[in-house]
Amino acid sequence: MTSRKKSDLRLPFAPMTRREWLMMMGAGTAAALLPGAVFAQGEPRRGGVLRVSGFANPSSLDPATGGAGSDHTYLWTIYDTLVEWDYKTLEPRPGIAQWKFSDPTTMVLTISPNVLFHDDTACDAEAVKFNLDRGRGDDRSNIKADLSSIDSVEVTGPLEVTVRLTRPDSALPAILSDRAGMMVSPTAAGKLGDEHDRKGVGAGPWKLVEWADNQNITVTRHEKYWRDDRGFVDGIEFSIMPERATGLRSVVAGQNDLAYQLPPRLKPLIDRSKDVELVTGPTLYCRQIYLNLSRGPLQDVRVRQAMNFAIDREAFVKVAQSGFGEPAHMNLPSSHWAYDPEVAKLYPHDPDKARALLAEAGFKDGFDLTIGGYTDADSVRRGEILMDQLGKIGIRLRFTNGTVAEISAQYFGQEKKFDSLVSAWTGRPDPAMSYGLMYAKDAYFNAGRVEVSAELTELLAKSRESEDMAVRKEIFSRLQRIVMEQALVVPIAFDAEMTAISKKVVGYRPNLIGKPKYEFVSLAS
Amino acid sequence: MSILTASRLRVARRRLIHAVPVLVLATFIVFGILKLMPGDIAITLAGENATEERIAEIRQNYGLDRPFLVQYGSWLWNAVQGDLSRSLASGEEVAVQIARSFPITLLIVVMAMGFALVFGIPLGILAASRPDSLVDRVVTSIGSLGIAVPNFWLAMIFVSWFALEFGWFPATGSVPLTQDPGQAIWHAFLPALALASGGMSEVSRQLRSSLVEVMSSPQVRTLHAKGLTPAAILWKHGLKNVSVNLLTVTSLLFNRMLAATVVVEAVFAIPGMGSLIVNAALFRDLPVAQGVVFVMVLVVISVNLVTDLLYTVLDPRIR
Repeated sequence: MTSRKKSDLRLPFAPMTRREWLMMMGAGTAAALLPGAVFAQGEPRRGGVLRVSGFANPSSLDPATGGAGSDHTYLWTIYDTLVEWDYKTLEPRPGIAQWKFSDPTTMVLTISPNVLFHDDTACDAEAVKFNLDRGRGDDRSNIKADLSSIDSVEVTGPLEVTVRLTRPDSALPAILSDRAGMMVSPTAAGKLGDEHDRKGVGAGPWKLVEWADNQNITVTRHEKYWRDDRGFVDGIEFSIMPERATGLRSVVAGQNDLAYQLPPRLKPLIDRSKDVELVTGPTLYCRQIYLNLSRGPLQDVRVRQAMNFAIDREAFVKVAQSGFGEPAHMNLPSSHWAYDPEVAKLYPHDPDKARALLAEAGFKDGFDLTIGGYTDADSVRRGEILMDQLGKIGIRLRFTNGTVAEISAQYFGQEKKFDSLVSAWTGRPDPAMSYGLMYAKDAYFNAGRVEVSAELTELLAKSRESEDMAVRKEIFSRLQRIVMEQALVVPIAFDAEMTAISKKVVGYRPNLIGKPKYEFVSLAS
Repeated sequence: MSILTASRLRVARRRLIHAVPVLVLATFIVFGILKLMPGDIAITLAGENATEERIAEIRQNYGLDRPFLVQYGSWLWNAVQGDLSRSLASGEEVAVQIARSFPITLLIVVMAMGFALVFGIPLGILAASRPDSLVDRVVTSIGSLGIAVPNFWLAMIFVSWFALEFGWFPATGSVPLTQDPGQAIWHAFLPALALASGGMSEVSRQLRSSLVEVMSSPQVRTLHAKGLTPAAILWKHGLKNVSVNLLTVTSLLFNRMLAATVVVEAVFAIPGMGSLIVNAALFRDLPVAQGVVFVMVLVVISVNLVTDLLYTVLDPRIR
């Protein structure tokens, strides 16, 4: 009893930082731990209200005008998407619509009948066209870039929309599983104008009741929801608690049923509570060192390769992530549909080889490398581990730490400060988006704006051409190989999703995006 | 005798006139600090992979590209007309946010003041009644401890014991007083108690030292000589003499607690004024930060005004 008290006393001190809401998603060792245990607990019961501790106020409850990665978990309750994805592999699947490419630049969407928005407007071809045009053209839309391959959208039947593209884009289905595919009621959007940000109306399993800033969001059952195999709870109440340790405490105390994207170091608190269990799974969230290929020693591929050989990824996962997550050998985790195990073998931990490569590149005595980082305790700790590992081959990291917004803007934006940046890639529904955004010549996240090779540029374009998954997988293998052989990045580790759920929560499934969806969740009576 | 005499009205008027520059200065400084801090809300609003053009467009849409003084001036002009504008981050009206958050914070502060006075005054009297005795030393030590222990630490201990271990109180959150008064007080109990620790110590120590001074004065010796009982001397003469001191401590404490809720609110995930301004500062959500500062300054000025007026009631020598 005494020891229990003592350990409980320690828990609240786990230093929590604001930045974790940007940084945490989840990855995992724990793929093995989860799925079986949490699903398969009998027929889901309808009813009850799920209480969730969320850690960030939404930027907007309109999918087109919002911008924060933390919005999705709220948006998915209110909005159904045209396309959905497989929880485990992210392979696209039909949502509200089925898609078919009649030729590489024409995509036909066939919309499911009987889909109604919360305001009884039909989600038909006109509504889908309205949404795609709004995403492409509205002044306040944040998803214009996602839909940039669309030339025109035509209604070709009551439930059929034909999308004409300016260039082949097989990433479009996956793009339509994200914000761009979340269907908003045209009636509500027209009537509410900017107010739709706060009063979003969609066709999802639940409709919005209330959103009080930084306090709570409440959604209740959409009685006319078009599918009966999901949306089991009568409603969901989100309490917004920025401190994740506090959010977890609310679950331990029984005030909430679920808290997500928790840092691994809070695991002891979950373990000690008999009414709460941990659900983990792999995610796309990749911690990595971004390299500015136009600067100093980093122009030499041997230096970049040396850095990749110098990193002990297994040790990093163990120390920095309490063993959760998986070592990253490329920008995709091992459970992703486009993962290539051969590419993963390119950089075993080999400091001798790293030193040899450095010597060959003319840096026998090492060199100083400027690097941007973030100020929160966890980031600093990760930085120290990397400093030690790279220090062993003579690369001396010179850190400048600041807030995420500030340091990222200094590194990627006009200023072009630092040779490198230790940060993360949050992942995208389609790998073509990730690779395009990080390695295309003019991509924002390619800080040096360097064209690596004509072949890479060609493959980036090609990765969007075919919709045959086998063909695409082959293209991504080649892409990944070039990225890693050229060592354009130093991937380190994938985070694990870490969600604490009360034992009465049934059917919760983690997903590769690492943000919770509640469509299959029910509550035990 | 009327409470609102001509001289008191004069005090009130003078104070209100002084409040204007304070209000302008406070909001201007906060505005300046938020503007000086690195970071840009336009980048946050533009979302992931935003282009430079999109960010520029957002800056223009929200008027963030205007000169600093123009932005401040426009905010001030609207604020004095009662329009606190809308949150940049979420679009909700700032006045609505404050109307929702302020009562939550106020309840905690009022309850904390209650705890501080209810425990602090008896302890102070107890210590002063027997200076340098064991009781006095115990009370003084408790006082030192209360001031030394940070209230966020105490809050965490309370959560661990009374919420997680014993389940007597909720670990997080709040309930509006208008919705369910019982629940509201129950939710505010632990945060208020944590917040009260320092205040309680301060009240008891201040009261002790003033009382000891009064009780050792020639006036009190005369009262003893006249044959008054120690209890009568303490209640009728001692406390009346220290009331002005106590009032000063109380009003300072109230203002300080309003600010100190920031930390306690974070521990208990209470969506009060503290959380509001912390979030606003982190996101560079200027209208919200400005609105909170505006209201807080108004509250502090009002508390000081009431205190000044009460001085004249308690001690007619003060004008």
